[in-house]
Amino acid sequence: MILGSCVREKEVSELLRQGHWPHACTAELHAHVDGCRACRDLVLVAASFQKARAQAAGAAPLQSPGLLWWRAQLRRRNTAIERAARPLLGAQIFAFVVTLMAGAAILGWQVRQGFHFTTWLAELPRAIHLQALLTDLLPHLGGGLWLLVPALGALALVGTLAAFVASEKQ
Amino acid sequence: MRKPLPTPLESVLPILVAGDEPRVAQLPMDNDAFAGFYERSARFLWAYLARVSGDPALADDLMQESYVRFLCAARPESLASQGEVAGRKYLFRIGTNLLRDHWRRPQSASIEEIPEEFFAAAGDEGQSDSRAMLGPAMKLLRPRDRQLLWLVYAEGYSHREIAEITGLASASVRLLLFRARRKIAALLHAQATNQGRRP
Repeated sequence: MILGSCVREKEVSELLRQGHWPHACTAELHAHVDGCRACRDLVLVAASFQKARAQAAGAAPLQSPGLLWWRAQLRRRNTAIERAARPLLGAQIFAFVVTLMAGAAILGWQVRQGFHFTTWLAELPRAIHLQALLTDLLPHLGGGLWLLVPALGALALVGTLAAFVASEKQ
Repeated sequence: MRKPLPTPLESVLPILVAGDEPRVAQLPMDNDAFAGFYERSARFLWAYLARVSGDPALADDLMQESYVRFLCAARPESLASQGEVAGRKYLFRIGTNLLRDHWRRPQSASIEEIPEEFFAAAGDEGQSDSRAMLGPAMKLLRPRDRQLLWLVYAEGYSHREIAEITGLASASVRLLLFRARRKIAALLHAQATNQGRRP
């Protein structure tokens, strides 16, 4: 199917593209364009678009190319880091799952061997000699025992904060 | 002398391990080469984005994003072998995709989000002839028709090149262009007739 409906459209298009229309064309071609609807439309549309292009290009607000270059470099670097960190995250998840499974397996094995969790929990302070530890510690602390709990809490808070800041920096 | 093989950590994390500029973050052209390319191509890309979208502020954003994506995605070896013309075509392809993404996104109805320049432009006394002629006619066309017409008549791309830029089949480009040209020609003729009748 020929959509152009005029055999001279290609010739007119080429002249328009090279900027030879209308001054560097024969009178015969001018006469043809005046009488041919397809070629007249082509000239009108192409001239309108080329004029619009020149005017719009003149009004274009240009940014600093250095800034764009820097942004692209930053984005490319971040993408590469993300790509590199992906297997590490996978390994961490895998290790966590393996640890959980191992813990569950050990616990199951212990239960089958006759292990009672509630009894073990009740006997835990005795097993780690907590009573002896407190008896030794209390006279040294004196009236400052009330400081121990907030100090431990503060230590935990500072540790969490430090871990968060470190992960943010990474 | 044979280069020592990278350790497993170095092969996974070249950026974090290597002390110098990381290889993976290398851009397809250096800063100066890019500045020259930008200087030669940015105005025409902006013109395309602004006239096809009808929104200069959007064209600013899309142009910046186009260049950043171009730098991130383009391969240095393909740019070196195919030259600046191919680079420019690639840039228009990115811009076209960004425009398409923008049109597919749900539009905001909030008036606060429309840039002030948009309102200023509507009442601009210094409106140029071509803008006054082409602008209203362009608004009556479908976005895809605007793209195709601009690429062929303003940028001078062939049907095959437009097919590469827009992702359409070459035969479809020919048919769509034929219809779009007939439509805009009719609109331009009608506008010219109306302006001629006006006192």
